Amino acid sequence: MTEGGRWFPDDMPVPAASRETLPWWQAAAGHRLLVQRCGRCGQVRHPPGPLCPLCQSTAREWVELDGRGTVYTYTVVHQAFLPSLADVVPYVVAAVELDGADGARLVTNVVDVDSADVHVGMAVEVVWEDMGPELALPRFRPAGGAS
Amino acid sequence: MRATERRRAYLVGVGETRYTKWGGITDASEHQLALEAILAAVADAGLAVDDVDGLVSFAADRNDAIFLATDLGLPELRFAAMVWLPGGGGACAAVADAALAVEAGQAEVVVVYRSLCQGQFHRFGQGPGGSGRSAAHAPSLRRAVSLLDAETAFTMPFGMFNPPIAYAMAMRRHMHLFGTTSEQMGEVAATFRAHAGRNPRAVMGGRPMTLEDHQASRMVADPFRLFDCCLENDGACALVVTTAERAADLAQLPVEVLGSAQGAPAGFGHGQYVNVNLPDELYASGGGTAVARRLWEASGLGPEDVDVAQLYDHFTGLVLMTLEDFGFCGRGEGGLFVDTGALAWPDGDLPSNTHGGSLSEAYIHGLNHVVEGVRQLRGQSTCPVVGAEVCLVTAASGVPTSAVLLGRGR
Repeated sequence: MTEGGRWFPDDMPVPAASRETLPWWQAAAGHRLLVQRCGRCGQVRHPPGPLCPLCQSTAREWVELDGRGTVYTYTVVHQAFLPSLADVVPYVVAAVELDGADGARLVTNVVDVDSADVHVGMAVEVVWEDMGPELALPRFRPAGGAS
Repeated sequence: MRATERRRAYLVGVGETRYTKWGGITDASEHQLALEAILAAVADAGLAVDDVDGLVSFAADRNDAIFLATDLGLPELRFAAMVWLPGGGGACAAVADAALAVEAGQAEVVVVYRSLCQGQFHRFGQGPGGSGRSAAHAPSLRRAVSLLDAETAFTMPFGMFNPPIAYAMAMRRHMHLFGTTSEQMGEVAATFRAHAGRNPRAVMGGRPMTLEDHQASRMVADPFRLFDCCLENDGACALVVTTAERAADLAQLPVEVLGSAQGAPAGFGHGQYVNVNLPDELYASGGGTAVARRLWEASGLGPEDVDVAQLYDHFTGLVLMTLEDFGFCGRGEGGLFVDTGALAWPDGDLPSNTHGGSLSEAYIHGLNHVVEGVRQLRGQSTCPVVGAEVCLVTAASGVPTSAVLLGRGR
């Protein structure tokens, strides 16, 4: 699933990485969707962090996901909080529950869809937006590529 | 029922500057407004500024207590604290921490303050703005400058810029699970607006709102319309906390801090503002259930004892969640509860936000809700609940939160 597209303007806020989250962003730049897992007890957590909240281990590993998931909740944003979004609104911000990630959810967008068709429980799949040469963001579209 | 052997803390003074629309105060700094509110609260109590020996604030206040102590000419600063709970979640914790300092004998007269001139600084409701990058400079990863910066990296680039968008997602989940409606949220907005109509301090006092007006207001982030979102304002307010001994012979009827609680459940982080990885029952709630339980335990009282409430109202829908968290109705029943007219003064079962709240009086991060709680129990509210003896005040839900229970003093 390496096909990409553009949906959002260049001047969207750019992400900031910590020591713990940097590998996630580096993988995203290569269109790989990861989730962090405790290296001792196997508990999945997102966003990535230094310590497992269940067993307090600092051992951690990465699991690569297939990019499928389900809409847990969403909002349709109608107000253009950046001038450059005037031609983009309304856009959908969603929390997507990721398959193969023990219920971990990702804040993302549902694109290539009429916002009125988005619903809780909707099956979606990842599609990547290259914001810069070394920065890509995972958005989602209806599973199967069409709404 | 109460631990009478320990020192008790009382609220003895309240003060505020004028409240205006965001950007409306241009002739004084936010810093000066903080000082003016503090002086007004001290004067209201019948104290002198030299009596003050403690200062407490919250919400990453720009107006550091150490500088305010010097500006005010305090003889000695004995207690200074700022609450970690973010934004409006700390409003009641700030009062609670002042009370704890007084009860522990660390200070005698502690002033809690909040000044907010968003026209002079960043707007809380606006988010960070764009990256400012042009096509000539391709967007690239930054190094995080704080833990929150690294967390919001997973929200901001996806257009989840600000509280209306973040809490709209939690509210959507509440609607999905429980069938809550936009009209029920509108009931909250219209009720608080009616209360503001009697309050000369209320920024929206002269702007009546019907349920139809609410339904006709533009959509910001579905399901939140413009009138589901609180105001953004310039202004400041402050409260004076002191001992029972000092309170006994001051200018105003003292108001007792019957109980307080603050904190966050397991895994809550910054709450739904950033965190979509919460258990389902927590995500579609205000996150305040444990705070509520500890508040009732600390005070020996329960929801049935509350005569009037000031509920943090950043968004109408989160008022519904707060009512559920604090046990005024069952989980998911907040909409049905407000449909009965329960929040309306004077005839509702739980008259709430009798000043108009952040939806209609002013957005001073909820410290003005504590001010209104004090006024109610003194009998000075513009929507007076006759005979009220117990007032619940809650801080922002959906973030680590706090609450205080206030009682009419003797």
